[in-house]
Amino acid sequence: MEQEPRVGVFICSCGTNIGGVVNVPEVTEYAKTIPHVVHTEHNLYTCSEAGLTTIKESIKQHNLNRVVVASCTPRTHEPLFRAACNEAGLNSYLFEMANIREHDSWVHPHEHQKATQKAKDIVRMAVAKAVLLEPQTEPEVEVKGSSLVVGAGVAGMTAALSMASQGFKVYLIEKEKEPGGMAQKLYKLYPTLADASEVVEPLIEGVKSHKNIELATSTTLKEASGYVGNFNTVLTGPEGDRELDVGTIIVAPGSSNYTPPKGLYEYGLNDHIITQRELDEKLRKGEIGEPERIVMIQCVGARKGEIRPSELEAFPKSDTAELLRKILKARKEEGWPYCSRICCMNAIKNAILIKEKSPKTDVVVLFGDLRVYKEYEDFYRRARDLEVRFIRHIEEARPEISQTPEGKLQVMVYDALSGMEVTFPADWAVLSTPLIPSKDEIMLARMLKIPIATDGFLMEAHLKLRPVDTNVDGVFIAGTVSGPKDVSESIISGEAAAGRASILMGNGKVKTDAITAVVDEDLCIGCGLCEEICPYGASKIEEGKSKIREILCRGCGSCAAECPKRAITMRHYSDNQILAQVKALLISESSKEVA
Amino acid sequence: MVEERFEDEKTPGEGFEPLIVAYCCNWCSYAGADLAGTSRFEYPTNIRIVRIMCTGRVDPTLVLEALRMGADGVLIAGCHPGDCHYQKGNFMMEKRFDYLKKAVKSVGIEPERVRLEWVSASEGGKWAALVREMTEEIRHLGPSPFKLAQDAKKTDAAIDAFKSQRLRWVVGRSQIKVEIEEEKYHQAVDSIMQVEIERHMITRALKEKGPLTAEELAQLTGLQPNKTVQHLIALRRDGTVNEAGERNGQYLYQLA
Repeated sequence: MEQEPRVGVFICSCGTNIGGVVNVPEVTEYAKTIPHVVHTEHNLYTCSEAGLTTIKESIKQHNLNRVVVASCTPRTHEPLFRAACNEAGLNSYLFEMANIREHDSWVHPHEHQKATQKAKDIVRMAVAKAVLLEPQTEPEVEVKGSSLVVGAGVAGMTAALSMASQGFKVYLIEKEKEPGGMAQKLYKLYPTLADASEVVEPLIEGVKSHKNIELATSTTLKEASGYVGNFNTVLTGPEGDRELDVGTIIVAPGSSNYTPPKGLYEYGLNDHIITQRELDEKLRKGEIGEPERIVMIQCVGARKGEIRPSELEAFPKSDTAELLRKILKARKEEGWPYCSRICCMNAIKNAILIKEKSPKTDVVVLFGDLRVYKEYEDFYRRARDLEVRFIRHIEEARPEISQTPEGKLQVMVYDALSGMEVTFPADWAVLSTPLIPSKDEIMLARMLKIPIATDGFLMEAHLKLRPVDTNVDGVFIAGTVSGPKDVSESIISGEAAAGRASILMGNGKVKTDAITAVVDEDLCIGCGLCEEICPYGASKIEEGKSKIREILCRGCGSCAAECPKRAITMRHYSDNQILAQVKALLISESSKEVA
Repeated sequence: MVEERFEDEKTPGEGFEPLIVAYCCNWCSYAGADLAGTSRFEYPTNIRIVRIMCTGRVDPTLVLEALRMGADGVLIAGCHPGDCHYQKGNFMMEKRFDYLKKAVKSVGIEPERVRLEWVSASEGGKWAALVREMTEEIRHLGPSPFKLAQDAKKTDAAIDAFKSQRLRWVVGRSQIKVEIEEEKYHQAVDSIMQVEIERHMITRALKEKGPLTAEELAQLTGLQPNKTVQHLIALRRDGTVNEAGERNGQYLYQLA
């Protein structure tokens, strides 16, 4: 049964991504000399249709029983190559990847020779593991046809309605008394200038009336455990705690709006110095009237300061919200480092609203950079046509607000174009402030094990390839929890997250990794240590021996590292397979004769 | 035919380039290293990553074996405390690491060669900085003691010790609440670790050199004669060794 390993090695240039640094032909030649390698080739793009076809054909033609692809990270491309192997009749666990892009060419762009040597090492290590790989069968788990959506803002409500209309049961929870989220507080939306309520009200109606949606307000997520398809959660609301089991979770708690600290641009010291959000509210109530001049200041609290590594490191360590409050406070003083994307359009929108109602009012927008992306360039032109004045200042020379003895506002700015200092008497000064991570969001991330990115927002599994997935299978993110978004973008991400979750729930089952623990019952003495340390209750002592319930085992391998009798082996990550890589790196067997 | 890679490598000091093995957990640190790549953060070429699912998987023997094979350094990198994809694998590694580091020191390897660090999936910059720092530190330390043909007896014995049921049991128990004071428990584990390492030096010597007297064993292992005798008594009691006659009026011992 045991066949001699026949390894095929496919080395990818990834265009010039790898090939521009690593000498791919040289690595390919080298790979031929590695024991058990019977076939090698290099491709321009191994992940292309042509590349995958080559793998499949080579498996058949050369009777390969192991495949190694040296290219990018397995975290994105392993599934693709595994599928190709599978199609050619090779068990997907007989595939191994060597990461010579993210871990080599991209980080050593100026070290061609050393990077090539490193690529050889990485390939040799991968082959050494491949030789010892064994075929595995992936256990299948059932996925409950229900979803928990945390946060009933635009994104959460969109996601809930999308899943509900596909026939899935949705539990939608909202920490506030009413659904609607931040969008509900908005007046008009750019670029259509439609009432925000035109978008939000139907969503609220929808989630309140849909038969498949159970809406619980004043309710938060208290606990979450379990795994894809079978999450066990505890909700806490006015009627106390409630346990709920769901198949998927969508996290859409939104973000907060930055409020400047008292005194920043005189904020809080004069009623006529307000934030863009507050202006929104005043425009809705018609409290602005027809003033002579309104001056807006962009990037207040945004694109400055930096989150110190020490702050981020503290995030996961703090058991209470106390520390998070401190961090948010520090950011409040110094600002947040990123561009919040929506503030420029918000300012333009409000400028247009004012101008259309009161053309005589002079609206001045002071900016360091104006970022109007997508079709919003037209929106910006519309404001110019209405004679909204945009004045660029040097980023470092921030505008200053002062009050005349009569209590009139004055905004002083250094106009970068004319090279002159200009002072504007103003009736209103409006500060454009960013969307910022909220404390709730961070606490949720901790509970669900979703990583927090360096800007403080939740991190996607992959910025481009998996924008609404998280690192936790079955948990998705929607809306501004992963970064500033406007209403339309929040809707898109809500639909996207619902789509991703529905794939799982629609299939009703999902295959999970075969990376699980196996007990050698001859060695096991039934001491029960594995049962005690397993976070998933996957190990139980029965009749004096440890029995692993495969479906519960998530494959961390802690039991294998601790088992006193070393009776536990991890599938696909055995001691032998791990050490074979180390050995291949440090003690290379003498090369085969190069033909 | 196995040829040791480091034989033809440069002598310590000038131009020495260390080779560092990094056990990176799939969810945080491997992804963090990926992000360093995506972000094009440059760092020295000295590190080789071995992907594992969780730092909880890192059996101390995996680290000791890597050192024994001549790695100039071993880095274990995982999720920040509280961020573990498997809830507490990194905590388990952290506990285990205390003992591991002591063992590394006690077998004569600079403990700085072994590091446990937390790098999240979003910390590409931290990963690059960490590799830079560790490479620099080990360049400074020079090549692995094993490249300088240091006697590996004690490290081999330490590997045996970390494979032994007794040591694994007490290290494993430290993961769960124990009834005695934590500090006292640590002391107990430390002393058991030392005892296990020494006993495995003895059993290794007996395995290689056949029946030996206590005096000969003490010379071979470098252990104190009275300690050697104590260990032999314990090893005889648990049936690991037995007597095999006499030489020069002294008992000879062999593996049972």
